[in-house]
Amino acid sequence: MGDALRFEGRRVAVEPGDTVASALYRAGVRTFTRSLKYHRRRGLFCMTGDCPNCSLNVDGDPGVRACSTDARDGQVVLRESGWPSAEHDLLHVADRLHRFLPVGFYSKTFIRPRFAWGLAERVIRRATGVGRLPAGRPAGAKPARAVHVDLLVVGGGVAGLAAAAEAAAAGSRVMLVDERRLGATVWDTRAIARIEALAREATAAGARILERHTAVGVYEGPFVPVVGPDEVLHIEAARVIAATGAVEAHAVFPGNDLPGVFLSRGAALLGVRHGVRPGRRAVVVATTDEGRASAEALRTTGAEVLIHDGPVIAAEGSGRVRAVIIETPSGRERITCDTLVLSLGWAPRDALLRMGTDQEVAGAGEVVIPGCSVEEAEASGRRAANGRTETSSEVPTVPVAGDGYVCLCEDVSLHDLEQAWDEGWRSSEILKRYTTATMGPCQGAVCGRLLAAFAGARADAVATAGARTTARPPARPLPLEDLAAGVDESIEQRTSLHDRHLDLGARMERSGSWSRPTTFGDIEQEIGAVRHRAGLLDVGTLGKFLVAGRDAAELMDRVFPVRVRDLAPGRSRYLVALDEAGYVIDDGLLAALDSGRFYLCSTSGGAPAMEAWLRDWIDRWNLHVHLLDQTAQLGAILLAGPSARTILERLTDDEVSAEALAHTRHAEITVADVPCRALRVGFVGEVGFELHHERSRGPALYDALLEAGRPEAAQPFGLGGLDTLRLEKGHLYLGQDTLPDDHPAKLGLDWAVAMEKPGFVGKAALERMRALPLERTLVGLRIEGEPRRGVPLLAGGRVVGRVTSCALSEAAGGTIALGWIRATDGSFPNELFAGESSATVVPTPFYDPEGARLRA
Amino acid sequence: MRELARALVGVVTASAEAGALDLLLVPGRALACRVADDELLLLSAPPVTDEVAREVATRLAALDPDALVIDTTDGWAAISMVGDDARASFGLLSRLELPDAGLLQGEVAHVPAKVVAGDGRVLILVPSIWEAHLHDRAAKALGHTGPLEARPWAVSTS
Repeated sequence: MGDALRFEGRRVAVEPGDTVASALYRAGVRTFTRSLKYHRRRGLFCMTGDCPNCSLNVDGDPGVRACSTDARDGQVVLRESGWPSAEHDLLHVADRLHRFLPVGFYSKTFIRPRFAWGLAERVIRRATGVGRLPAGRPAGAKPARAVHVDLLVVGGGVAGLAAAAEAAAAGSRVMLVDERRLGATVWDTRAIARIEALAREATAAGARILERHTAVGVYEGPFVPVVGPDEVLHIEAARVIAATGAVEAHAVFPGNDLPGVFLSRGAALLGVRHGVRPGRRAVVVATTDEGRASAEALRTTGAEVLIHDGPVIAAEGSGRVRAVIIETPSGRERITCDTLVLSLGWAPRDALLRMGTDQEVAGAGEVVIPGCSVEEAEASGRRAANGRTETSSEVPTVPVAGDGYVCLCEDVSLHDLEQAWDEGWRSSEILKRYTTATMGPCQGAVCGRLLAAFAGARADAVATAGARTTARPPARPLPLEDLAAGVDESIEQRTSLHDRHLDLGARMERSGSWSRPTTFGDIEQEIGAVRHRAGLLDVGTLGKFLVAGRDAAELMDRVFPVRVRDLAPGRSRYLVALDEAGYVIDDGLLAALDSGRFYLCSTSGGAPAMEAWLRDWIDRWNLHVHLLDQTAQLGAILLAGPSARTILERLTDDEVSAEALAHTRHAEITVADVPCRALRVGFVGEVGFELHHERSRGPALYDALLEAGRPEAAQPFGLGGLDTLRLEKGHLYLGQDTLPDDHPAKLGLDWAVAMEKPGFVGKAALERMRALPLERTLVGLRIEGEPRRGVPLLAGGRVVGRVTSCALSEAAGGTIALGWIRATDGSFPNELFAGESSATVVPTPFYDPEGARLRA
Repeated sequence: MRELARALVGVVTASAEAGALDLLLVPGRALACRVADDELLLLSAPPVTDEVAREVATRLAALDPDALVIDTTDGWAAISMVGDDARASFGLLSRLELPDAGLLQGEVAHVPAKVVAGDGRVLILVPSIWEAHLHDRAAKALGHTGPLEARPWAVSTS
């Protein structure tokens, strides 16, 4: 028993060289799918992968073009549309309900009441039968590989191969890709022989030929993603030659979508390449030499062939072609037949060419000279390889009149277009959006020119109404998983303590692009540890910069509003960073080092912007400053709490007393044999030492600190605890508690701005804003009720602001919050409602307002 | 691929006036990578990194007294790919076009990287905050299972 595939439970024999389509056609299958909207029968039409008519489910993959898929033994093939089956489809009743399913019906019907659309959408989706995605299969399984070439040729026909051979012989790195096997869509033996010879020539010259690799778009570069069976290639090419050929023109007439209507290449491929006679009696309507030649080829299959060159008036039949009415010099003639073969002109496959406008993308062969001979195609390819641009030939448009289907994918008829035009959608672009013509799997390859011709031919059309719609990727359908090839689902930044956190049972969360611990178990317990004993927080995420050079002080002084000139080595100062408009863009700490150097810490998320910001000013002012981003190089651990100093003293011989290392001071010390820069900071409101160290030493230092803190039951804490601890001190989180147009006064940070300095970035703006009344401000709040972040703040029944941070604080004895409020009637209200809870504006900090604890 | 490994490489960053860096005599044990007009990365085997830093600091001080020379080894994570298909394999990690030899800067595995190619080797350095990501991504792309072995890196003497 020979090879066979399984089609809806039955065995279908597979001959060598068969596609799924040819094997099924040989087995008598004529209805391959049902149309999207009216469930009309659709059969083989183009056989070149351009139309949607043979989309089947192959081995679980939906929407597979049967004509472009090699048949294999054991393949499982199903038709996806139709209920209960494609052959006996009860939904075909829709074809008698055109009046109730007018063009754009989904924009007009089921939209009221509102819930109706949700229901209707599900029903419509099921009824279209466009297939279901396979469940349970991992996405993005294919690797993505970047490839760089001098020339990428898309299309392995005569023109493409000639271009590849010519360019490779000239020494270029050439890659040629074709979505099928070379010559698979060619039936003319002379052309096939030339393709084989050119393929040998190109390969011998060093060109790399990849079959079954589909170019799906052209992006800036030119950059061309190419989908292959096992990988996705991201091809960066100095030049691209699109030798993508042409599809025969689709004609519009009643019955033009019946099974049995073929494009001539499709019929010839079926008959000559696959040895399957398309029908017993074929009418060939051909205005091209190739069409007439294909008619002769069909005769060799044993079919009775009648050739005409007059227009087709209609195809008749129910379920498949039974007769054709054609226009002859002596009038209309009705001919009984089972096959209608059309060769009425060309529609170049120019999607890639049009995507590559204004880039190094050229066309060769039929895509620019539709219907050209083998010799002309080869000459065109060689010319393109040598950089001579081919001008696209004018393509005569097939007349669009009468009725029939324009867009086979979306079931849009000429009548639909006329109705849409009458409704006021009067250009090809908006007709496309309203009717969805050209928006199906063929992406306008079959119908794009017809749509443009329709719009351009209207008597009341404006000049641009008939322009071709924009070509966008993907030019060919591709599985969603191929779009995800090579994509990283998650790229997170980690500190050196990441694994330690996991070992300690931390629950991690994404904070910006960092992975950070939220808690190690119990947030309340962690807060208690910091307030009463000691806690450890990984702050290695902070931006960390070394600023050196003879102009370092000047840079800091001119960029930031903080006083710098009196910042002696060993001292540090809180700073806000302002933009030219005086708005707060970041905050941090500036520490003066020896030799005129500075150590600058920014927020965790602000480091990249801070570096770019500083480098910009260095360049603009032409300062002699060397800036080194040490964010990745250095880790940092905050040891904070009333017992912090005791713990630290166990691990260092250096002096860390309140006198020697006071609040806002810093020193280079050694802790557990790890050299550290110890910064006295107070973000959580307790005695705090931020220990900055070489990243590789982080885990050892962390372990040592935890061990040394064991007698005091020191414990690690995460962002959950930090959120409450800093809120108790009234410290804001940039971004969470601020808006993009907040200047320091709105945030109560005037104290951090040295307006007496001669100049700094944002000073002029601040001076202007000082003359204006403050319309909004960030305030501290006590709320009678549950903490709820984000709730509106109301005064007199009007929304005047919003809660930005909120927590139930044991230390502060209730619910505390930060929130911004607007001035009403020239003043800021004190009594508010936070949602439904009463709230009172209170001064901050909520905890240790004198700061005695952190200075201890 | 003959080898995909975690590369142990010492990195010294020298930040100085462009003219000073132009004139700097680089120690033979280090590979100099000019990553910006005013910044040089000096790659070396870890045991000699301290020496390299000292030597460069001394030489550069004479050319630019404000020059900054810092051992930034901890700021970088590196992998090395060795073998005939190392260059082709690089295409699985980056869209950058690898030169025959020399330094390349840009995105590798979607993060900023420095790449050094030559002698059948490709060395990729990324900021150490992406170390785990680089290892995972490289292993996945190149079909490597298990943790990457650590291999010392040194300037090629061939």
